[in-house]
Amino acid sequence: MKLIKKMIWMLPLLALALPAWADLKVATSLSDLASVAQFVGGTHVTATSLCKGYEDPHFVPAKPSLMKAIQNADVFISVGLELDGGWLPLVIPGSRNPKIQPGAKGFIDASEGVEVLDKPVGTVSRAEGDIHPLGNPHYYSDPLNLVVVADHLAQVFSDLDPANAADYAANAKDFDEKMEKAVKGWKEQLAPYKGAKLVTYHENFKYFANRFGLKTFGTVEPKPGIPPNPRYLNETAEAMKASDVKVVIYQPYYDADAAQQLAKLAGATALEIPNEVGGVPEAKDVFSKFDYIVSTLVKTLSAK
Amino acid sequence: MSKRFMLFVLAGALYCAPWSANAQTRSIISNLANPAIGMSALFLGQAAPNLNQPIGMQFQEAELSVISTVDPYWTLAANLVFGANPNDGIPDTVEAEEAYATTDSIPDIQLKVGEMRAQFGKHGLLHTHAFPFIQAPIIMGNTIGMEGFKDAGIQASWLSPLPWFCELTLGAYTPVSDDINGQGNHPLDFNASSQDNIPYLVHLKNLFDVDEDTTMELGASDLTGMGADDLHHAVYGVDLTLRNVPLRQSNQRGWILQGEFMKKVSYNDSVYNQETQGWYGSYQYRLDQEWWTGVRYEQCYNTTPDLQVDTTENSLPGHVQRASLDLAWLASEFSEVRAEYSYARNDAGVVDNRAMLQFNYVIGFHPPHSY
Repeated sequence: MKLIKKMIWMLPLLALALPAWADLKVATSLSDLASVAQFVGGTHVTATSLCKGYEDPHFVPAKPSLMKAIQNADVFISVGLELDGGWLPLVIPGSRNPKIQPGAKGFIDASEGVEVLDKPVGTVSRAEGDIHPLGNPHYYSDPLNLVVVADHLAQVFSDLDPANAADYAANAKDFDEKMEKAVKGWKEQLAPYKGAKLVTYHENFKYFANRFGLKTFGTVEPKPGIPPNPRYLNETAEAMKASDVKVVIYQPYYDADAAQQLAKLAGATALEIPNEVGGVPEAKDVFSKFDYIVSTLVKTLSAK
Repeated sequence: MSKRFMLFVLAGALYCAPWSANAQTRSIISNLANPAIGMSALFLGQAAPNLNQPIGMQFQEAELSVISTVDPYWTLAANLVFGANPNDGIPDTVEAEEAYATTDSIPDIQLKVGEMRAQFGKHGLLHTHAFPFIQAPIIMGNTIGMEGFKDAGIQASWLSPLPWFCELTLGAYTPVSDDINGQGNHPLDFNASSQDNIPYLVHLKNLFDVDEDTTMELGASDLTGMGADDLHHAVYGVDLTLRNVPLRQSNQRGWILQGEFMKKVSYNDSVYNQETQGWYGSYQYRLDQEWWTGVRYEQCYNTTPDLQVDTTENSLPGHVQRASLDLAWLASEFSEVRAEYSYARNDAGVVDNRAMLQFNYVIGFHPPHSY
């Protein structure tokens, strides 16, 4: 009986000793970043993304429930380059969490160290649409950029949780090796289609195309954030025909009708391809996402 | 001698010129930490046969916004509004509509200090260019002001540890209006000079995720202060908003169903005056990426003035009802053309119907609008 009483008294102390107390609660603005953070953090981290994979990362509704979701986060990982600039300035301060405010140790810009494409030269003007003034923020469509992110996160997690630094470094190394090996395989699968031209809904596939020797030919939207009109679709379709462009890619959150209409006009195939983890059920993490993208592309390009 | 001296000075100046030009390019003054700057501008065309000025183009306002971090602890934001004088329509007024500092350094609390919009209700939080309909609800002008209650003060919002978003805001503001005429820029009639008569705010906001796409928000507000007439003046409000944003089409579809009820009273130990009350209900529907439409119905009771129908401040007395129909075209995130028709009628049969066309532009940095 005495022993039972002692054990009851010790329960709170036991709770303190639970490994969950060592966990870092990580939130991200993008599902790919959550996937990488989970790989790197392993059992020491719980990573969740505010933006679902089938949600346009430019236009995430800044629901107060998102603020609530990160009220107790230890780390927030932003995709950076202002991709989440339309909603993060509300969500981060709204969380009332000093640990993840910009400038605090727990706020991470995942784009640090990434080689950024499409940096505007000269004057930045919205006459060109809703352009990203810091460059193309969709760097996560290149799997090797995620290696840069993984190494960065391992360093950040180690700084915040030094007791598990060795695990973070080992996990990042494993991730890097696994990703580099996977990239070799994906390159082999896409090698026969080197130089193939793709039209994308938005300029969010360029990093992927560059990595695997494909070419982006144009976009369904005439300018970033501007929906296409019939005249533009007709002109683009004619240009696609003249240049033998056979594939139009769009993400689950874009206007499928416009992409399919363009494909029909150009005699091409419209493909719904995720750009983010969770965009389709098969894309459960960054590896399966790229598996899905590559296999879908190969299937379509081989049929042409 | 003087010629030689002049030549000496000239030669010296020429010698120094390249150095000084070089110095300009190597300025020690950096603009890298300059604040983000943006401006919005509103223009309105209106046809209203029952008003003294039936047809007219009008410059509504231009709002210059600046925001920047001050240091690791504070962020400062300011909105300067250039507007038209309501008496003559000449665009010659400038108002520091907001100039406040916020800190997010305190766990679970956001602290705001300065000239600000009090966290009252839903519509009262909106800047004019973010109004879902061109005209503010009638009850706004009769209680806390067309653009909400704006005053200097301090406000703290606490995000509770409850499993849903539950926010409690407390605020205290200046007891003497900052309006140049001393009449107050809101109809709450505080203006008491006694230092212990500080107007205070209590606001509770709850938001629940009904499902992945839909939220329900329920709020309650109380703004109370002591007037120069030794009466407590208070406005109470409740609001309910159902909002749907399909995550797969967050930039193309969605709807907002919103209602707000407000009541203004004055009282002391022996007197209780119900000065006015009113409500509105609105439904906005997003047709696609570029088009929104909306309808709103509202009622206001015992109001003075019920409607500010023109620059002579004529008003429709008594119980007023108004219905509005709105269609907005958003060519991009930064421009908007809005067409609206409204029909208002009071108990005496006085009618105020208007057709309006509003142009709304934004340049530079613009902070995202709240959900």
